[in-house]
Amino acid sequence: MSKEAQLSIAERDFILEALRENVRLDGRQPDDYRALNISFGEEYGHVNLQLGKTNIIVRISSEVTKPREDRPFDGLFNINLELTAMGSPAWENGRTNDIEAYATNTLDRIIRHSNALDTESLCILKGVSCWSIRADVHVIDYDGNITDAACIAIMAGLQHFRRPDAVVRDGRVIVYGVEQRVPVALNITHKPLSVTFHTFNDSKHVVVDATLKEEQAAEGDLVIGINSAGDVCYLSKYAGAPADAMVIVNKTNVAWEKVKQINAAVEKVLQADLAKRAKIGMADESRAENDRLVQIE
Amino acid sequence: MRDRLQTRYQVQAQLRRPIKERPAHEKSQRETTLLLPTLRTLKKLPNFYLSIVNMVGPIASLSQLNRADGSASYKCPATGYSILGAVNAPIELPARRDALKPEEATVEVFVKPGTTTAGVGERHVEGILRSVLGKIVLGREKGFPRRGVVLTLAIVGGENVERGDSANLSQYLTILPALLHAGLLAMVSASVPLSMTFSATLLGVTKSGDIVRDLSPTAAKAAVSLHVFAVSSKNHLLLNESEGRFDFDTWELVRERALSVCQGETAASADGDVTMGEGTASASLNGFIRETVEDQVYSDYAFKLDSI
Amino acid sequence: MASSTTPISPTPPSLALPPSQFARLQPHAYLLAHLSPPPASNQPSVRANGRATSQFRVTSANAGSLTHTNGSAVVRIGDTAAVCGVRAEILHTKDIASWSVLQASSEQNFDKSNDVGVSESQDEEDRGHIQDLDLLVPNLSLSTGCAPGFTPGAPPSALAQSLSHQILSLLHTTRLVRADDLRIWYQPPNLDSEEFRNAGEGMDVDTEQSEDPEREIKAFWVLYIDVMIISLAGNPFDAAWASVLAALRDTKLPKAWWDADNETILCSDNVADARKLSLRGLPIASSFCSFEGDAAAGWRAVVIPDAEEQKQKKGAQQRWILADPDGYEEGLSQERASLVVDKENGKTVIVKMEKHGGWTVDSDDLRQLVDVSAQRWDEMKRILDQC
Repeated sequence: MSKEAQLSIAERDFILEALRENVRLDGRQPDDYRALNISFGEEYGHVNLQLGKTNIIVRISSEVTKPREDRPFDGLFNINLELTAMGSPAWENGRTNDIEAYATNTLDRIIRHSNALDTESLCILKGVSCWSIRADVHVIDYDGNITDAACIAIMAGLQHFRRPDAVVRDGRVIVYGVEQRVPVALNITHKPLSVTFHTFNDSKHVVVDATLKEEQAAEGDLVIGINSAGDVCYLSKYAGAPADAMVIVNKTNVAWEKVKQINAAVEKVLQADLAKRAKIGMADESRAENDRLVQIE
Repeated sequence: MRDRLQTRYQVQAQLRRPIKERPAHEKSQRETTLLLPTLRTLKKLPNFYLSIVNMVGPIASLSQLNRADGSASYKCPATGYSILGAVNAPIELPARRDALKPEEATVEVFVKPGTTTAGVGERHVEGILRSVLGKIVLGREKGFPRRGVVLTLAIVGGENVERGDSANLSQYLTILPALLHAGLLAMVSASVPLSMTFSATLLGVTKSGDIVRDLSPTAAKAAVSLHVFAVSSKNHLLLNESEGRFDFDTWELVRERALSVCQGETAASADGDVTMGEGTASASLNGFIRETVEDQVYSDYAFKLDSI
Repeated sequence: MASSTTPISPTPPSLALPPSQFARLQPHAYLLAHLSPPPASNQPSVRANGRATSQFRVTSANAGSLTHTNGSAVVRIGDTAAVCGVRAEILHTKDIASWSVLQASSEQNFDKSNDVGVSESQDEEDRGHIQDLDLLVPNLSLSTGCAPGFTPGAPPSALAQSLSHQILSLLHTTRLVRADDLRIWYQPPNLDSEEFRNAGEGMDVDTEQSEDPEREIKAFWVLYIDVMIISLAGNPFDAAWASVLAALRDTKLPKAWWDADNETILCSDNVADARKLSLRGLPIASSFCSFEGDAAAGWRAVVIPDAEEQKQKKGAQQRWILADPDGYEEGLSQERASLVVDKENGKTVIVKMEKHGGWTVDSDDLRQLVDVSAQRWDEMKRILDQC
C-alpha cells in the first residue's frame, strides 16, 4: 500500500456538512487543538508527544565535528524526519514521500532558518571543532498534523536537551562526561511553533490541528510559524484552493494565541521534569559519593 | 477463576480478531496502562516479582499504536535499550512485485536507529532478523501469499549507537535480543500466524572466563567474546551470533547457559510447551514472552471473562 | 554423472526431460534426488554439482593483480570470483575533528589498562584508533553482470551492504591490522615541550604524554578496501573475505614522515623503503547451508503437531549441511551457518560463528563444522601462502 485509504464520499460529505453547522467530528471548536500530552524519557532531549492520536518521539543528540569550511564560527544543527511504516501503513520504509519532504521543509524553515537554536553558541574552537546537534523525529502514530506535533516536540526537546560541557585548553578540546560536570543547556533564541489550519467550503470554515480525516476532506491548508512574541517566521499557503486574505490575517492572531498557550504548557512540563531530575540527581550524587568512599576504604 | 489458555493456537485464534474492533472503553483503558500490564503479572506471580527485583527483568507491552496492525514495545533495563516495533500484515507491496514469492508471504524488516541515519550495520541486522522471523512466520496461511509482512523497529531509547559509527557490530549484538523480542511481540500483536515463539539472550565471556548475561554496550566492548542466542519455545536453536575469540567448549558452556536463561531451569524436559508451573518457569525469557501475550489477551477479553 | 540419478520414470518418452530442465523446473526434487539416491542404484550421495557435502569448490588466489593499488588480490572459489584492491590514503590528524578532543572520561580507560598487561592495553588502543577514526574502510560492490539479478544504476543492494558490514566488523573483531602500522610519527629534533607542559594540567593528559613525550602522531594511513564481486555463484562472503585477506597480506605502505619545514607529509618513492603490514593471525571464513529434504517441514510442524516425532521415527537423514554452497544450493535453503576460524600453535580458535534462518543445525553439527572449517583453514593457508 502506498497511499492512504481514500475518504468515502459519505464521510467527506458528513465532515463538510457538519462543519457548516460548526461541528467537528471530535466535538472540538474550530480553533481548538486536540489533547496535547508531552513526556520526557530517561535521556536528555527524549520527548514523547501525543497530539490526539498522532504520536511522535523526538530525540536530540550531539557530537563534536568539524565546522563547515565557509562557516567556521557556526555549529551544525539538523532536523531529520523519516517516515516509516510504523506511523501509517501507507508509508513505505526507506522511501521518501510527499508528506515527508513537505514536513521536513516546513520544520527546517520554522526552526532552523529562524535560528531558534543559536548555532554560533555551538562553536567550540574556530574552524576546528563545533557541536553538531541533531533532532531525529520518529512518527510512530499518524493521525494528521505531523508538522505542528513535530515542531512542538523538537522545540521541547531542544529546551530539554543538555550537551556535555566542553572546554578549550591550549588548543585541545576537553569534553567532560555527564557525571563529571553538569551538562549545558542549549542556547535557544526564541520559541517558534507552527500552527496548521485547513480550509473547507471556499475558506468559509477554517479549523486548526486537523485530524487525518479532516486533512483528507480539506480543500487547502495554511501553515503559520510564529513565536510567543508574535514574530511570524514562516507563512505558507502551500496547496489547494485559494483562501481569503482576511482568513490569513485573522488566523495569524489565532496562531499567536495558540503558540503562547502551547509554549506555556511545554514550559510547565519542562520545569516539572527538570525539578524531578534535580531531585533524583541529588540522590544519585550522594549515592555516588558514598560509593567513592567505599572504594577509598 | 478464568481458565488458563492451554495452547498457543488458541492465543493466536483469539488475537486474530482485529485489534481495532475492541470496544472503545477497553482501548482507553489499555492506553492508560501503557507499559503496565506486567504489573498485573507481578501481582499474580510473587516469584516473578522477586526475580525482577533481583535482575531487573525486561518490560514489554503489546498493541499500543493505533495505525499499525500490530505493535509492541520492549525495554531491557540491563542493556538500557528500548525498542518499539510495528507490524503491518498482510499488506500489498506494489513496489516489490518482482520480489514477491508466489506461494509465500514476503517478510520485510526495517530497523530505524534513534539518533542516526540507518547505515550498513542496520542492513546487516535486518538480514538476520528477516531470516529468523521469516522462518517462523507461516507465510502460506490464507491471505498471506504474495503479500508483505512489514516489520518496522525503531530504537527509541537507550545509549546511542555511536553516531557516525553505526557500523559497529559489537553494539548491534547487544541490541539484537531486544530487537528480536520486540519484533516477535509485534508479530503476535498483529496476529501474524507463527509456527513457534522464541526468546533471545546476549551472553558475554569476560577476561576471567565468567559468563555474564545482558551486558551493557560498554561491558560488551571489554568482553572476550559475545554470543547471542535465540531459542524457540520447543528448544530449537534458532539463531546464534558469536564473535570474539573462543573455542568450541566455551561456546557449548555458553549455549547451556543460554538455554537455561531462555527456558528456565525446569524446561529441560523435551517439550517446551507449557509444562511450566506458575512460579518457576516464568523467570525464563520464554515464560516472560508468554506472560506478556497472555496478559494482553486477558485484558483484551476482560469483558468476556468477567461475564463468565 | 548427474543425469543418471534423475528419478524420471522412463514410461512415456515424450514426457522425459533432460536433467538441466528438470533442475530448473523442480530444483528441490533434483537436489534431493542427488543427495538421497535410491538404495538400489548404488550411487553415492553427492550434490548436484558433483561435490561431497563437506567439500569446498576449487579455490585459487592471485595477489598483486592490480597496478595502481597498494595491495590487491583476486580470489576465485568455483565460479564466484572477487577482486580486492587496497588503497592507502593519508589522513592528517589536524583534519580529524575528534583528534584534538580529549574525552575527560578516557581516564577510566587508563585505570583499566593499569590492571591488565601492557600488551592487552596496546590491543585496546589499537582497536580504539582503528575503529574510532575509521582507518579501515571496506566497501563491497556487487556489480552489474556478476549475476542476472543485478541491474545497472541500482543503489547498493541489501546484500552488498550487509557483506560490507560483515567485512568491516570482522576486521575490527579480529584486529587483523595493527594500528601501529598505520601511524605516521614525528620525532621533533629538539624538545619543544611548551605545548605539553601546558596541556598537562588534567591528570589524564599527564599520563598519556608521560609515556612518550617526544613522539607525536602526525597522520594516519587510511586503508580503502574495495571488493568487487565480478562473478557471483553463491557464497560471496568466503570469497570476499579471502580476497580482503590476500590483498592485505600483499599491501605495502610507502615510508612516510612529517616534514617540519614544509609542514606536510612526505612519502619515499623508493620501493625498498616500503614495508608490508604485519597482520594478526589468518582468520579464514567457511560458510555452509542446510538443505532440508522436506521443504515444508517448518510448515508441517504446526499443521501436524507431532510431525517432528514422526520424522525422527523414520530415521532417514532429512537434511544435509552443504559446505561452500553454490548459487543453486543457496536458493534452495534458508538456514545458513558461517564460521571464521584461526589457528594458533595448532589450536583452533573460533573468531566468529553465526547461524540463522532455521533450526536444524545445532551443537553437534556445529562441532563438526568447526572441524571442517579447521581443515579448510589448512587448505586456504596453503593457497594464500603460494599466491
